[in-house]
Amino acid sequence: MNGREKEEYLREYEQLKKKGKAFFPYAIMKDSVMFVLVAAVLVTMSLVMGAEMGPKADPTTTTYVPRPEWYFFFLFELLRIIKSPELVPVATVGIPTICMVLLLLLPFYDTGPERIPWKRPIASITGGMVVVAMAYLTYLGAAAGSPSEIVLETRPQYEQGRQIVAQSGCLACHAIGENGAHGGLGPDLTEIGTMVPRPAIKRSIAVGPGIMPSYQDLGEEKLNQVADYLASLD
Amino acid sequence: MKLPLPTRKKASPVDGNGDDPAAPVEQAGPSKAEKRAAMKTAAIHHSAEGGATAAGWVDQRVNASGIYTALLTRKVPKGTNWFYTLGSATMFIFAMQAITGVFLSMYYTPSATQAYASIAHLTNDVFMGEFVRGLHKWGASLMIILIFLHMARTFFFGAYKYPRELNWVIGVVLIILTMVMGLTGYLLPFDQRSFWATIVANNITASGPVVGPYLADFLRAGPDFSATTLSRFYALHMLAVPGLIGALIGAHLFLVVKLGTTAPPWVRAARPKGARPTEMVAAGVPVAVSDGPDAPDAAPANGAGPEGAAEEAGESTPDDAGPDGEVSA
Ligand code: HEM
Repeated sequence: MNGREKEEYLREYEQLKKKGKAFFPYAIMKDSVMFVLVAAVLVTMSLVMGAEMGPKADPTTTTYVPRPEWYFFFLFELLRIIKSPELVPVATVGIPTICMVLLLLLPFYDTGPERIPWKRPIASITGGMVVVAMAYLTYLGAAAGSPSEIVLETRPQYEQGRQIVAQSGCLACHAIGENGAHGGLGPDLTEIGTMVPRPAIKRSIAVGPGIMPSYQDLGEEKLNQVADYLASLD
Repeated sequence: MKLPLPTRKKASPVDGNGDDPAAPVEQAGPSKAEKRAAMKTAAIHHSAEGGATAAGWVDQRVNASGIYTALLTRKVPKGTNWFYTLGSATMFIFAMQAITGVFLSMYYTPSATQAYASIAHLTNDVFMGEFVRGLHKWGASLMIILIFLHMARTFFFGAYKYPRELNWVIGVVLIILTMVMGLTGYLLPFDQRSFWATIVANNITASGPVVGPYLADFLRAGPDFSATTLSRFYALHMLAVPGLIGALIGAHLFLVVKLGTTAPPWVRAARPKGARPTEMVAAGVPVAVSDGPDAPDAAPANGAGPEGAAEEAGESTPDDAGPDGEVSA
């Protein structure tokens, strides 16, 4: 915007303001309605979903697969999309930093006088694409499900085993139902009970065949619970 | 930019918005102006006399009613719509986070050995404990949603352009700090999820160029994740970052009041020609009086009185009194 355009903007703006309404009560009224709406949504969410807790932090379980809050999914997914190791810093730091700088400096490189969205197509299309990309990445992150969660229902007597499997990082390599690594390093365990007998399952977990680590450290009781659970999958 | 007023002729196809009544009505200017002036005088008079009351006593010393008047009677431009509530909704949810956060801090112990137990105690034993935790947890998500919507609004409305560039910059810092709040807060319950997610976040920080490793060391309070890490995150989460956010919101709102909020970009001060109430009045056509309690244009959302109806008519009186001339300065 050059000097004349700035002056014109201010003049037009002054007119618009004169034709506007007083902040109180009009804007305040709208704001308050919005407050009530936001508060209602918030209270409902808290009552319905509460605030659950996961198992206590255990620095020794190195197999736990971390999962961020949903609003970091888009960053997290970026990491997953960019796989080659030498490019990882690009995904983790490079792209986000560049985006942040571009966002911060926006008013200093987009200095045109036009404000109507459909009359500044470059800005609007770019903005729209960023919104779609972020929404899509967030969706991908959500759809992947928690790597420490098994949605597949099980009978109560196997619940304990299911918990252990979910929290021991098995899903980093295996899939169970819709969760875990489909096409991962290890075989799909969804119907493992029909393919491998229980003693063989237990031996595999304890020994760790091939590249799979040994889970002997779980202890006899937990090993049995895990084996019971997996043998029940059919 | 189009030609300056009042020579501008071209009618914008989308002039005004839902706020503008279908049949706006020209005001009987003088009487409106008189009424308002009378109200203002009354207010000033009242505050001057207020020495007798405690409020008046304070007011004479800090001139609060002057500030109050300046904040409340300032005008928002024609066409201001629901999208303009997103900023204050963000502020509202931030205030909620501050309040619920204070209550959570009354029960929380920022130590690696006791954090989990203190949260478990709060969740399971304390009266309404889980509810307040829920408010804080879901409030964080809502704040993220609202701040992104608010940013999208200012982006698509071109509100970051002259003269509001600085407010955009402050806003971007605010959105980053809000994300930092989410990151630091996630660790605090100290369950498996939060612990390992934070380790990863920290490793990512460490992979950054130049400052990355130092920043990661600072966050961890050393080369390894330790008990001090938790208290460091806690101090950042409940003291440093919210303090910064609060201060920046103050600066943000100062600029909002000083510069005024934009009108939606497609709204123009000049009305399209034809069917203009102004012209109807000029032609001597009697028009409905908007001044009654049942004026058609008194929007149901704000059951305001006659003054309200008049304002709602959009075409307000020639009165431009009130502290809203800053921008022209
Ligand atoms: C804690 C976060 C924030 C709070 C409490 C806040 C609050 C507000 C409020 C109350 C307004 C008045 C108009 C409106 O509500 O739309 C406003 C305007 C504005 N905000 Fe924010 N805001 C925040 C974050 C942001 C962010 C992240 C950005 C953009 C990056 C931003 C950019 C702007 C701009 C450019 C305006 C002027 C808009 C106009 O005049 O139409 N704000 N803000």
